[in-house]
Parts: sequence; structure tokens; C-alpha cells
Amino acid sequence: MKQQTLGEFEELVLLTVAALHNDAYGVVILEKLEDRTKKKINVSAIHVALKRLEDKGFVKSRFGGITTDRGGRRKKFYSMTAFGKRMLDSQYELRASLYKEIPKISFG
Amino acid sequence: MNIRPPKKAISFLRWFCREDYIDEIEGDLIEIFEKESLISPRKAKLKFFLSILRCFRPAFLKLFKPSHSTNTTDMFRHNFMISLRSFKRNKSSFTINVLGLSTGLACSLLIYLWVMDEMNVDHFNEKDDQLFEVLANSSNASGTHTGNGTQGPLATAMSHELPEVEHGVTVVPFNWFGNKGAISFGDVHLKAKPQFISKDYFNAFTCKIVQGDASNPLPDMNSLMISTDLAQKLFHTTDNIIGKIVQWKHDEHSGDYHITGVFETLPSNATSSFDLLFNFDEFSNKRKGMLGWLDSDPNTYLILKKGVDVAEFNNKIKHFVQLKDSKVESTLMVQKFSERYLHGNYENGVAIGGRIFYVNLLSIIGFFILAIACINFMNLTTARATRRIKEVGVKKTVGASRAQLITQYFSESTIISFVSLIIAIGIVVLVLPSFNVITGKNLFIPMNANLAIILGSILFVTSLLAGGYPAIYLSSFNPATVLKGKLQTSFGELFARQGLVIFQFTISVILIVAVWIVYEQMEFIQGKNLGYKKDNIIILEMEGTPVEKLQSFHNELKRTPGVISAGSFYHNLSGMHGSIELDWDGKTPDQHTDFANLEVGYDFIETMNIEFKEGHSFTQTEKSKNEIILNEAAIKFMSLKDPLGKTIRFWGHERQIVGITKDFNFESLHEEVKPCFFQVYPAMYNYVVKIEGGRERETVARLEKLHGAFSSGYPFEYKFLDENYQALYASEQRVSVLSRYFAGIAVMISCLGLFALAAFTAEKRIKEIGIRKILGSSEIGIIYLLSSDFTKIVFISILIALPISYIMTKYWLDTFAFRIPLEWYYFVGAGASALIIAWVTIGGNTIKAARVNPVTCLKIE
Repeated sequence: MKQQTLGEFEELVLLTVAALHNDAYGVVILEKLEDRTKKKINVSAIHVALKRLEDKGFVKSRFGGITTDRGGRRKKFYSMTAFGKRMLDSQYELRASLYKEIPKISFG
Repeated sequence: MNIRPPKKAISFLRWFCREDYIDEIEGDLIEIFEKESLISPRKAKLKFFLSILRCFRPAFLKLFKPSHSTNTTDMFRHNFMISLRSFKRNKSSFTINVLGLSTGLACSLLIYLWVMDEMNVDHFNEKDDQLFEVLANSSNASGTHTGNGTQGPLATAMSHELPEVEHGVTVVPFNWFGNKGAISFGDVHLKAKPQFISKDYFNAFTCKIVQGDASNPLPDMNSLMISTDLAQKLFHTTDNIIGKIVQWKHDEHSGDYHITGVFETLPSNATSSFDLLFNFDEFSNKRKGMLGWLDSDPNTYLILKKGVDVAEFNNKIKHFVQLKDSKVESTLMVQKFSERYLHGNYENGVAIGGRIFYVNLLSIIGFFILAIACINFMNLTTARATRRIKEVGVKKTVGASRAQLITQYFSESTIISFVSLIIAIGIVVLVLPSFNVITGKNLFIPMNANLAIILGSILFVTSLLAGGYPAIYLSSFNPATVLKGKLQTSFGELFARQGLVIFQFTISVILIVAVWIVYEQMEFIQGKNLGYKKDNIIILEMEGTPVEKLQSFHNELKRTPGVISAGSFYHNLSGMHGSIELDWDGKTPDQHTDFANLEVGYDFIETMNIEFKEGHSFTQTEKSKNEIILNEAAIKFMSLKDPLGKTIRFWGHERQIVGITKDFNFESLHEEVKPCFFQVYPAMYNYVVKIEGGRERETVARLEKLHGAFSSGYPFEYKFLDENYQALYASEQRVSVLSRYFAGIAVMISCLGLFALAAFTAEKRIKEIGIRKILGSSEIGIIYLLSSDFTKIVFISILIALPISYIMTKYWLDTFAFRIPLEWYYFVGAGASALIIAWVTIGGNTIKAARVNPVTCLKIE
């Protein structure tokens, strides 16, 4: 299988899904991300990212129960897979190892 | 009170968005909207719209939803592999399928090539759509006769007076000249076929002028155009021959001509095959009758303007000639030139078909052969369904859809068809030379896109025909029942399979009957007592010999060793002859017919062995020019009593009847014997020579020597009368031979299928047979048990086939005036032979099964 990649925005969404644990769905993810990044984000961007993550196997999804809110539409909850976790770990390690190699002197 | 999100936007979203995403997307959007509308409903609405627009992206569209089977290539490989494995496992049925299908395909390909060639005859003219031939209908007591002989001035008159006519052409075709002329240049003498044409010929017919003035290629009466082929033979080149002077010898047209043009030899699918083109003015100059309205020898062709209604035009020209000369009785009509080849038979002035009958016949045979081969495939596959039923069950259980299974079986039939098609093309390439000999054509496999399309569609149709039913049938099983091991063979399925075998054998029986009767009829015609002998008779032409020398040639000829007798003639007995009205004492006004005019020399009647009923042949003296001999049919028509010595008048002559011959066939056996008469002229250019059998070669060599002495400057050519005669029935002969082969192949392919079915049935019932034998059944009993089913099927097919074949053969025989009676034994014989063939086919397997040792077949489980 070819090496999966993770874009910057996708990484953010994945982190948010992981952080929200089992309660992650479109609107919550959006709010949390907007809150943290202090930027306006469109919900469809989140949806696209989620689909991609799901296709790549980093997250899995399930439907919530039937509600009368939201125009009668069910929520779709996302949670991180083990594979997604490994991906995040390796990403994090890569950055951390590179970060450690920055010589301290140059920035005083 | 909640504010509702805009409905239009939502329905737009629902319209484009994938169903499996709509819950999430619509839900999230509404949730956001609801929250934001608490702050500012207007902004919320705007944002809702924008968000929906931003959702309009490929990943969310219904249109781009990836199909479930993203593994098409994998499935294809899988299907391919499964097919190969099943071929490997069932080698015999695979071989039979491929054998049957490839033979069937090869036959239909050959027939396709033949039919296409027939359909293309005379279609090479660029103005094909507008090119019409004028036909004349003349009525007399025996019915309406339709012919293409029309008046010389007709073409010019029509093109001047009728606004619908763009060009009118007068042509005296090459076959009008019974004996061909000869062209000479230096020492080279060649026979050639002349055709006389009027000025507009090249505006109507496509005939490429290679050299010469294209606008006026035949400027004067002495100009001549020559085909590239003949030029090559005469000059060994086609360059720089314009202006050369050649000698032409042919009756009154003999003389020097100068070449003014070279035209490309016509393609092989043209009915007219002339080598030389002369100016029609030369023809009419020598025969002044051509300028009047009473002679009708040339053919007239018209180029009609685009969009002219032919029926209306026919009405308009019907009495065109009567307006010119009220003495002419024939009425006119036009037919498309290219249609004349296939639709050249007329009844009461209406085209009633012709060769198209054979084209249709062979096309139908071709289709049926292919159908029979496809039925083999269908039957074998469904019969063997039990073997694959578990495969279907398992596949369905793990989630294969019906469509996928159908695809699988289709790919199997496509693979078989493809393999068969490749083999079939190989067969066609191998067989084509012999096929060309039989058909007398020059067929080849055209390498073009058209053929690729045809092959592709044949492949498609074959795999659809062959694979369609098995695919639908096999994929229809319910996995639960199938895996439990129960397969109820439904009545319908059995019915279908037997029905297909019945269809195969019905066709086979019809073909056997048809071929047999066609063969018998052809034999009958060949061997029929024509009223004259046609064996060992040679036809010679003595053109260019001066009239005064002909008498001594005749004497020399009779003295030549090996020659029994020799006579001269102008009109031969198998085609071209003139017709005239006779006049006699006691003629009533309604006794009105054309008598065939046979102009012959002395000894002709004797050489041809035509028998006399009364009287004697011409006296070989001066007196003979007042004598006439009639046939029985003529006497009967004239209802003369004591005809000998009576006077007959024609052309202003008076002649005494000296003899009456028995009826003999001087035309095709398609027609009844017509009234005819002989008149004698002492010197004629054509000779019939009866020679001794067994010494043909020496005699012909002597004749050649003699010919050289009298007719220098002409090549020696001779023909056996037999060949001449056979040419009359060439089309029937060829179709007869062809249909014999194809019928044989059709029967063979049906038997192939039956063979495989019988083998399969015997195999399937082997345990039953074992048990029956243990319980005391005899071998004969088992054979009876196994063959009775097939016998029943074949019997039903015979019952269906016989009435159909009776109607068909009767229809065909009715086109002959002299025909064999339809005897009962043709039908019983064909039925019996079908039954015997079927028994022989299943016999081996049945006997093998009946002789099986119960121990061996019962111990395996």
C-alpha cells in the first residue's frame, strides 16, 4: 500500500476528532477549531477533510440516534482509528525529532 | 419561534448531494443555521446559502459517486480464469462448441461475402441513384414480355422532350453481338467485345477515361476507345496509343479505326464487360433502321433529375413511342439500372424478383447455420448447469449480484465466440479459393473498417445469442435450494432445450429436402431430352472468311477425319434469336404471336439431330430458299391441317412448308417450347460440328489448322455446345452446389449438438442405468430407454419440417416450365435420413452407456 499522507488542515481536523473523543461531529469540530485557531472556517471544508480522512482509514464514522433537531437529520460521529493514531504519532515524532535538532545558539 | 432555514436551498442540496452524505451535511448546516439565526437571521440565511454552494463539489455530487465495483479489471481477470478452468474441465463440450461455432461462423462469413458481392453488382456508377434503364413491354397472346430493346432515337427524344431527364444514352451492348469481332494491330489478332455508345455515355456511366479527350472521346464514326486490359494485350502498353490505327473485323462494321481514347477496364462486379467502345453513329449509319421507330435493338439509359417520382415518370412515358409512331405497340417503363441484376424477372410488366431469390435463400441458410451453432452452445451450457450450480450458489451467498453473474457467463460465451471467430477467419482464408471456383466470383476478404464493424457485430450477436439464455438461466437460481443440493429441472427449461433441438432438426430436414429436390431438378434439366443432341458438338466461328469460300470450307470440314457432320447457323439454340410475325392462309385476327426465327445453313438440323415428325429437311439446291420448316408448337398454334406444302408469308417472301420437326428446347427450360421456324441460307459464319467421341483432341487440332487456312487474321476459338447450354443454368447450378455444401454443414452442426447432448444424458443417468441393469434390464432395453427421447424430438421436427419444405420446394419448382413432380419419397426419404443420422449420432454413446458394467458405475460416489 502506498504511503498515506496527511495535509495540514486534515491533521488539525484529525487532532480535533481525537481530542473530542467519541463526540466529534461536523458542528462541534467546526466550533472547536474556530475557537482554537481564531479563524472563520466553513463547515464544508471540515466535511471534505473528514471524508478524506475516512477514505484514508484514519477515522471511522457512525450515525447517531434519530432526532427531531437538525431538520430530522442524524449526526454523524467520527472517531480516530488505531491507524490514525499511529499516523499522528509518527507525524509528531518526525516533527519532534527535527525540532530537537535545532541548534539552540542561533536563536539566543 | 424558530426560524426555518430556506426551503429552496435545502431542496437544491438534496438534489445534488449523495444520499449517504446528506444526513451529515444537511444536519450540520441546519444546526449551524439554527444557532446563528438567534443572532442575525439575515446573516444566517446568507451563510446557509453560501455553505450549500460550497458543498457543490465533485466529492459530494451524486453524479460522481464511485460505483461499487471499483475492481473491474480484477473481476474481468477472475471471469476469464473461471472460464478457462471450466473449458479445461469440460474439454469435449468446449471442443464441440468451438467446432460448431467456428464452422457456423465461417459459413456465414462466406455467405456474407457472396451476398455483399451480389448486392454490389452494377452499383459502381457514381450516379447510381439516378441511372435508369428503359424497358419495353410488348403483349401478345401468350402474355406480356418485358425486354430492354428500345428504339434508336428514343434516348435523344426523351432527353430533349422530357424535363425530368438529364441525359439519355443509347447503347448497343456487347452481348447483342452473338459472335464477337476481332481486332488486329500488326500481327496481333485478338477477339474483343464491342459496345456502341452515344455521346452522353460518360455522363451517365462511371467509366474512367485514362487517355483521350474526356469531353468528346468519340469524335467521329471511325473513332474507337479501348480498355486498358485490351490495350495491354494489343500494344503491351497503355501509353501513347492515341491515334494508332487498328483493323476491326465484324460484319458490316469491319474497317480501319483510329484510337481516340483509353478507358479503365470495368470492375469485376459490372454486368457489362466490353473491351471496345464505338460510336453509335457508326452503328446507325450501317443499319438505317436504327434511325426509325420500328426497330428496337439498342438499350436506352436515362439519368433522371434528382427527386423525380419514378412511378409518375413511368405513367408519363408509357405511351411515349406511340406518339412518335402509332404502329409501335410496346409500352415503356423505367427501372433502376442497378436493380436489374437482382430483380430481372418480369410478369405482366412488373418486376417479380430474379436472382434476389437466391441471395435471400443463401442469406437465410447462413443465418440458420449460425443459429444452429448458437443453439448447440445454449443447450450444452444449460444441460451442464448442474455442474456449475454450486458455484452460482456460493457466489450469490457471498454477495454476487445477478448482473455480475450474467456478466460472467457472457464473458464466457464471448471468449468462445472470439476463439471461434479467429478460427472461422482462418477457415475462410483457406476455403476462399475453392469457394471462388464454385461461385465463379473473385471474392476476397476486404481489409477495411467496414469488415471490422461486421466482425464485431457478428461477435456481439453470436455471444448474445449463444450466451444470453444460459446467462439468464444460470444466474436465476435461488442459492438456498441450490446449495441444499436440490435442482428441480423445471418443465419450462426442459421444454426450451427440447424446443431448440426440434428447431435445429426442423431446419436440417428442410435443408435436406430442399437440396435433394434442387439436385434432382438440375439433373433432370441437364439430362432432359431436349429434342436435339448436345454431346460432342463443337461451335466454331468463321468470321472474316469470304462468303464464296464458305462453301468449300464446309466441304473440307465434312471431309476432316473425326468429323461426323457439320452445319452452319446464324442463330444458336440456346439464347439469341430474332422473332417475327408470320402470315398464312386462314389466319384469324387473334392468332397473333412472334415466331422464333432460326436462320440456319444446310446440314444444321441433321447435325443437331433434331427429329422430323413429317416431311423432310431442306433440299440442298436453289429451291431451298423457298422452303420453310416449322416446329410442332408452331403448327399447333397456327392450327393448320395437312401443313406440308402450305404457304407461309413473311418479309414479303412466300415459302412452302417442307418439314415439321418435333418440339425441341431452343431456350431455357424455364420456358415452354415456343413456336419457331427455320429458314435456310447457304452460307453462314457459325458452324456446329459433330465429332466422334474419344478423338476430340486430334479433331480439334485438325479443325484449328483448317480454320487457319480459311480465316486468317482471326484467332481460333471453339466451344462445346454443352458449355453453352450449361451457361443457361449457371446461377441455378452454382446455388445448387453451394446449398448442398451448406446444408451438409448445417446437418453436421446439428448432429454435433445432439451428439454432445446424448453423451451428457448418458453420463448423467449412468447410475440409473447401473441400477436398472442390476434389476435385470437388458442392453436393448437401456438403448431403447436412452434413444426414445431423442427419437421423439427428431420425429416432431420431421413433422414440422415436411409441410414447410413442401411449400418451399413447390414454390421454387413452379419457376420452371419443365420440372420434376414432387414425389412422396423426397419427403419420407429426408425424414428417414434425418432419423438415421440422429440415431447414428447418439448410437455410440448410447451403446457405450448400455454396456456399462454396473459395478464400475455404482461404486463411485
